[in-house]
Amino acid sequence: MGEQQSDGRLVEVERVRKSFGSQVVLDDVDLTIARGEAVVVAGPSGSGKSTLLRCINGLESIDSGDIRFDGDSIPKAGKHIYRLRAHMGMVFQSFNLFPHKTVIDNIALGPIEVKGMPRQGAKDKAKELLELVGIGEKAEAYPADLSGGQQQRVAIARALAMEPKLMLFDEPTSALDPEMIREVLDVMRDLARQGMTMVVVTHEMGFAREVCDRIAFIDHGRIVEEGPPEEFFKNAQSERAREFVDKILHH
Amino acid sequence: MSDFLQVIQNNFPAFLSGFWVTCQLVAISFVVALVVGTVVASLRLAPLKPLNWLGATYVEAFRNVPLLVLLFISFAGFARGGFPVPPLAAATGSLGLYTAAYVAEAIRSGVFAIGKGQIDAAQSLGLTFRRTLRKIILPQAFRTVIPPLGNLTIAMIKNSAIVGASLVTIRPDLLKTARIIQNNTFKTTETFFWAGMGYLVLTLTATLVVRYLERRLVIRR
Repeated sequence: MGEQQSDGRLVEVERVRKSFGSQVVLDDVDLTIARGEAVVVAGPSGSGKSTLLRCINGLESIDSGDIRFDGDSIPKAGKHIYRLRAHMGMVFQSFNLFPHKTVIDNIALGPIEVKGMPRQGAKDKAKELLELVGIGEKAEAYPADLSGGQQQRVAIARALAMEPKLMLFDEPTSALDPEMIREVLDVMRDLARQGMTMVVVTHEMGFAREVCDRIAFIDHGRIVEEGPPEEFFKNAQSERAREFVDKILHH
Repeated sequence: MSDFLQVIQNNFPAFLSGFWVTCQLVAISFVVALVVGTVVASLRLAPLKPLNWLGATYVEAFRNVPLLVLLFISFAGFARGGFPVPPLAAATGSLGLYTAAYVAEAIRSGVFAIGKGQIDAAQSLGLTFRRTLRKIILPQAFRTVIPPLGNLTIAMIKNSAIVGASLVTIRPDLLKTARIIQNNTFKTTETFFWAGMGYLVLTLTATLVVRYLERRLVIRR
């Protein structure tokens, strides 16, 4: 299972369709993510970006098509999905830290509960990760004591604690005040440079330009265009993508 | 005024014993209500339709039948059918299972108050539904539902008097004690005044405990 079969591809999204009621959210989407690649998924709001991410993680089930992670299809439900999820980290727009647990317990929870790691070992590691995202001093604080930027960095540390093969970022800076966006993007940039495979849904085109290997532009549930960021910004092929670039860059 | 004092002075040991029985009734029923209520709420939230139905059926059945009817069935009805239930079990079972229906609903609404994002976050770490429930959802839900649970506890303390008003033959609780004293002394108002005071002690204590827990366990979001 896994690595042998899937060569360099970590995620393969194939002909995926998904609707909510009569509204088609993903319409025949194909997308491949290679190991070590950082891909930004861009597009107007409501275009299906977040849904795509949630389908990769199995938080939403797909209607048809196939999503493979490390060679394994994402099942609709059952035990297997929990195993696969443990190898993907997800960071949400609204942080979703557990408010009844301290920062360090938020981070140590996954390794303790899912991997069966001893409590002390998990906490030591959580502490290291917290240092890594630059807020080692907040270990015993509660999420409510932190700023948005700090909360999001804890959320990243929480996902990293599972030692994921893939990190999914769902608009990680959209809920942040402008002055806190930088600190979160810095952490993400470092991750990408260390070779973490990442899929990032974001409107931060500066980040896309500087950090990612590829941009996938999605509109009305379809991937309209894919390519290296420079290519995408300088001469997008489709009318829709050009419009989008124009709006975002001159805004 | 002297009649009031006289009633309590002459019957203090009986009142105290009744008060103690009511305490026991309430304590046992409380545990039953909390445990069963949590299980039923979990059933209603489980990702499996038949379990949801089972939970919903429980709630509708126990919430929509008068407590007194439950007491009659569990105590007299079952005995007549050849399955005698010990009186204390019938009393605490009825009161506990009845209250559990309300507890389940309170916990369920507490769960709904928790953002879907919490469940997403737990699931994305690879937690199973059961672990998500145990580690993330229920600990937060309990904190959110402390005030409504307090109200239910107070209602249950008062509902426990129905046991004393029924024919269930446990040691006399506070209300039954008052009925006996009233029968002997004909001092109705005075006797039930003291019974009322006994319930007031219990309900006020419950209120204080709830306030304390609320302060201690509140989650800042």
